[in-house]
Amino acid sequence: MGDKAKWDYASYPGYNKYPNLFKPIKIGKLTIPIRIKYAATNDNLSDPDGFATDASVGYIRERARGIVGGICTTAGIYMDEKRQGKGEASQAAAWDDKFIPGLKSVADAIHEEGSVAAGQLVHYGRVGAHDAQYCQGPSVVPQRLVLFKPVQAMAKVDIKQCVKEHIEAAERLLKAGFDIVEIQGIAGDLIANFISSYTNRRTDEYGGDIRGRMRFVVEIIQEVKKVCGDVPVGIRLCADELLDDVGGNTHEESMITYEIAEEAGVDYISISAGWQESRYPVITRDIPEGYWLYLAERAKQHVSIPVAMAYRLFTPDLPNKAVGDEKLDIWEMCRPMIADPLLPKKVLEGHEEEIRPCVGCNLCIARLYRDAPMTCYINPICAHEWDENYHIKPAEMEKTIMIVGGGPAGLECAWVAAERGHEVHVYESREELGGTIIEASKAPYGDDELYGYIRFAKTMCEKNGVELHLGTEVNSDVIGEEMPDSVVLATGPMYTKGTAPGFERENVVSVLDVLNGTAQVGEKVVIWGNKKPAISVALFLAKQGKDVTIVGREKKLGKDVNPSFLWRYVGYLRQNKVTTYNDCDIGEITDQRVTVITYDGYHIPVKADTVVLTEREANPRLKDVVQENSIELFVIGDALIPRNLSSAVHDGYRIGIRI
Amino acid sequence: MAVDPEKQISGLWKALQGSQGATRRTFYQMRQVLLEIAGPDANPLDLGVKAWEIIGKDMGKANLPRMNLLKGIEGLMMNVARAYQGLATTNGAVVNIEKGDNANELFIKWERCPWPTAAKESGASMEEDLKGCDTYLQAFLDEVNAFLGTNLKIETLKGIPSGDGVCIRRLYNPENK
Repeated sequence: MGDKAKWDYASYPGYNKYPNLFKPIKIGKLTIPIRIKYAATNDNLSDPDGFATDASVGYIRERARGIVGGICTTAGIYMDEKRQGKGEASQAAAWDDKFIPGLKSVADAIHEEGSVAAGQLVHYGRVGAHDAQYCQGPSVVPQRLVLFKPVQAMAKVDIKQCVKEHIEAAERLLKAGFDIVEIQGIAGDLIANFISSYTNRRTDEYGGDIRGRMRFVVEIIQEVKKVCGDVPVGIRLCADELLDDVGGNTHEESMITYEIAEEAGVDYISISAGWQESRYPVITRDIPEGYWLYLAERAKQHVSIPVAMAYRLFTPDLPNKAVGDEKLDIWEMCRPMIADPLLPKKVLEGHEEEIRPCVGCNLCIARLYRDAPMTCYINPICAHEWDENYHIKPAEMEKTIMIVGGGPAGLECAWVAAERGHEVHVYESREELGGTIIEASKAPYGDDELYGYIRFAKTMCEKNGVELHLGTEVNSDVIGEEMPDSVVLATGPMYTKGTAPGFERENVVSVLDVLNGTAQVGEKVVIWGNKKPAISVALFLAKQGKDVTIVGREKKLGKDVNPSFLWRYVGYLRQNKVTTYNDCDIGEITDQRVTVITYDGYHIPVKADTVVLTEREANPRLKDVVQENSIELFVIGDALIPRNLSSAVHDGYRIGIRI
Repeated sequence: MAVDPEKQISGLWKALQGSQGATRRTFYQMRQVLLEIAGPDANPLDLGVKAWEIIGKDMGKANLPRMNLLKGIEGLMMNVARAYQGLATTNGAVVNIEKGDNANELFIKWERCPWPTAAKESGASMEEDLKGCDTYLQAFLDEVNAFLGTNLKIETLKGIPSGDGVCIRRLYNPENK
């Protein structure tokens, strides 16, 4: 419980820096010592039948540890035996008393870390029915996304049953020891379906105007409140559905839902924006941080109960100011604490520079829709918190390690190995650290956030005493002189030319030179390659008004970009009028033209005065030298197989903990 | 009026791909029609294979005017292989012809073919897809052999529907080993 919190907040530097975050707030009759909340985050870590697992308990325990006495919320828990409310392959359940011991182990873990345990109940509605043929909704409204099941309209008996399931599940949460019950009603879930004029076309008392559409929600709130007594009940509701194009709720209606929820008795509201079916980005890095704060401010004008919000609030400065300005009451976080579960703790202790930053890529979400357990692009330990083998432990034998390459793979490996007690030297041929992320972070639409990882890794290297040798090219002489115990090659990829005539011409330039501004680029540009580097440089050039065409051998664009972010890039490419030829090759390059050869042999002439190389291959440089000297060798990151920042970081960590 | 060749060609290319897709969908839609009319006792495999036999015969007859035995059996074999290649390419496949170790055999290689994917999307088995294609090619060849009095044979060595990544078929003349 919060009142048992072990933190003397005023004794930490973060208390003075962010005073508005580390002050108490009352939710119902419960006083929470700080205004930070780990928001409910789907993790797919339970057993497929809905029972808690070592992974799910380990995951939440680490977030509870990080939230330093604040509220730690479970992932959404479904409540019906028929599993129509279930939205993920391995989602937690509470439709029977047999789930109580598992739920208790989750609540206990949160309490043992001195934090407040909130259990979230969810019926996924039109985005649910993971294991069923049809999903439930107020009305039969066709799906916009083929990913989801066809909808069956709920009869009144189904509605009553669903209310009953909320009551019974809430009782089980209380028996398990939770301090707060939260009801989920956002982003396409059943409650949101009832509230929205897009999905609720009913003509009975559960449809019609906004009060009619809220009846189902009101019944749930009132009944759950009855069983909860003094235990606070919160709800998550959309402040903006972002469904104007299909007749979703107006902003005014959304605010009325908040007022009605407060009237019905909820003790706090967590606000959100967007549905799965919205055609606008909400939480990806192309949305500026703090963008959605206006929704919190608007909500505060309509209710007197505490207002919480996550959604692109990744650093403490914005929510601290918003709380101070009375635009927000509680700072919530999902993604930032997936990337670094100890984020609030580091803020409190004054170690913000040690926070592993979320890069807003949505890989975590993409995994859930593909029945895969939670993982994080930037945090290799995510979902492995319970597994000792993933932890950083002292090395059995201390070694001298030479890491060649100061990009993300090399830096991650370096600080992890150094923390384990090894003597680590990083050699970087350039005068600055970062590898190809230096250039990648110059691309538009939020890619500058990628560099945040480099800042974190640099800090961790300095903290752990990694010796940095900048501007130092490693060759056989250096290796021979140093004779380290182990060498880690993190030298990055090699950029490759095609074999067609013209690739040797002067108008063929490297993606790195384009992004760092040292290459001459004309007005009509062909990008060779159709993976992430190609997309980045295409957008970089198209934003300058250039006429850009992507030509690549992969059958689909952005094979290395996770699908929950790729749709954003595809949208921006379209918006910037970038033409794409996938599954194609380059036949010839001249001064003014590139011949594109389609997979079925058609030749398409494309006007181009510049060709940008983005195709990469593994980098074998120095492998032979290391092996000839009988030195232990590891190859990581793009030097092993060109992939992305995530793979580089994960490679670096995995080698760092075992070297 | 200025012509933008990129726009023209890419537009035509996309239209061709759309048309190829429509052909495949129509085939499987008609197969479904026949299955529904034939009732539950009909075997989809038999029906699909029969359809390809009819198509093969028809295409074989349509190609007879191009078949030339005046340049010998090797020339005829190349005629047949090129006809297979042309028909497959029209349908969106990528096909190459390679000469064998001796003059009496040719290898026809389908590097890519959209038909197995279409079969999968339409609920047809890979067995039906492979057998259908074999039957189609054989029916085509039967027409040529009957018309010119030859005895060319074709055999499947690898098949995309079998998971081989490519289809390789050997076209050969067994009477001149």
